Amino acid sequence: MDLDLLLRLGGSLLAIFALAGLAWKLRLGGDLRIRDEAHARELAEEAVYGFDAADVAIDRAGHAALLRDANGRVLLLRRHGAHFAARLLTGHTHARLDRHQLVVGTAERRFGEVTLDLGPQAQYWAASLRRL
Amino acid sequence: MPDFSPVDYAIPAFVLLVLAEMLWAWKRRPEAYEPKDTLTSLAFGLGSTVAGVLFGGFALFVFLAADEYRLFDIGWAWWAWIACFVLDDLAYYWVHRAGHRVRWFWASHVNHHSSQHYNLSTALRQSWTGAFTLGFAFKLPLVLLGFHPAMIAICAGFNLIYQFWIHTEAVGRMPGWFEAVMNTPSHHRVHHATNPRYLDRNYAGVFIVWDRLFGTFEPENDDERIRYGIVKQLGSFNLLWSVFHEWIGMLQDIWRAPWRHKLSYLLREPGWSHDGSRETSDMIRARWRQRRGGEEKVPNENPIAAEGEPA
Repeated sequence: MDLDLLLRLGGSLLAIFALAGLAWKLRLGGDLRIRDEAHARELAEEAVYGFDAADVAIDRAGHAALLRDANGRVLLLRRHGAHFAARLLTGHTHARLDRHQLVVGTAERRFGEVTLDLGPQAQYWAASLRRL
Repeated sequence: MPDFSPVDYAIPAFVLLVLAEMLWAWKRRPEAYEPKDTLTSLAFGLGSTVAGVLFGGFALFVFLAADEYRLFDIGWAWWAWIACFVLDDLAYYWVHRAGHRVRWFWASHVNHHSSQHYNLSTALRQSWTGAFTLGFAFKLPLVLLGFHPAMIAICAGFNLIYQFWIHTEAVGRMPGWFEAVMNTPSHHRVHHATNPRYLDRNYAGVFIVWDRLFGTFEPENDDERIRYGIVKQLGSFNLLWSVFHEWIGMLQDIWRAPWRHKLSYLLREPGWSHDGSRETSDMIRARWRQRRGGEEKVPNENPIAAEGEPA
């Protein structure tokens, strides 16, 4: 690799970190939360077109939610940066209950585990996830 | 071969414009940027440059070999540059369309669409694996016609530079005549959207006329909020996963599929599955139309494949 290429590579790396650092310094992205059930339903419908939630449980901090439609499909919604990402839960889902906190993992390792503080509803949702 | 790449000269301007858009976001739309997303997109850009240095030689080799069999000697006249730019943009339209309709190509192009943001840093979110899709073959007719490979490469560079500025929400609509002919932020927002109405639309690079001509144009609807990204959002900022996730998914599908369906997972549209367990963009759009009572008219023509895939 010649020196010119190395210099350009180094300069590009510096610019990348400077721009990302500036975005962080300016607090871009904001602090997005799930406001209420209507917001959770809207986000679910955006994530899976036509998903019409009949039952909704929102994490107390508003970082995540579980939603079930009339067909029994369960959608896990969680914050991803300044947006939300979701996955339909399958039989490969694992759920762990710790008092009011429900830890849900999908079949996709990269999607990560999501911890939802669901209060008294946690037990009910944990039981329903075991039936998937 | 002249050693000139217009993109190299544009990079400082790209950086300054991203900076300017960030300041706009800070004042007006803080959610338009997100630090981790920006870092991922910019790392994509750097990685694609390195990939270009490592793998770009193969395309150049094929172009130079094809040049030996050219039909005409078009040369370097001013009109040749204009003709080359327009025809290169036409070729880009078809490469890009294939990038959305053939899973093998989508495995690479999905990188450009996997951000849920739409800003100037998204423009730099370029694939690392384009060389493995043979997309450059779409430009071989230009070489065989007699355009010099260097002229094609330079025109493609200017095409890429043009496409940078349209990746923004900071610009609303351009004047009517401009929107009619050129690709604009409004048209390209549609292209990056996951709303069923917008899936697989507006493939244009510079001239939107190709979409109007080939039945894939969809105007931006001011009453519908655009959601960006891909139908199944990544949910991860991991750079390597972002780069290779669709290649891994495609290879896993090919591995697991019955023999008679293996090739379909390579060549059919993303979202296609042999057991009907997934949805293509046309299936999603059909459900959307059905729910709206069929009153929406959107183009549905696609000669590459019978059904389409979400962008």
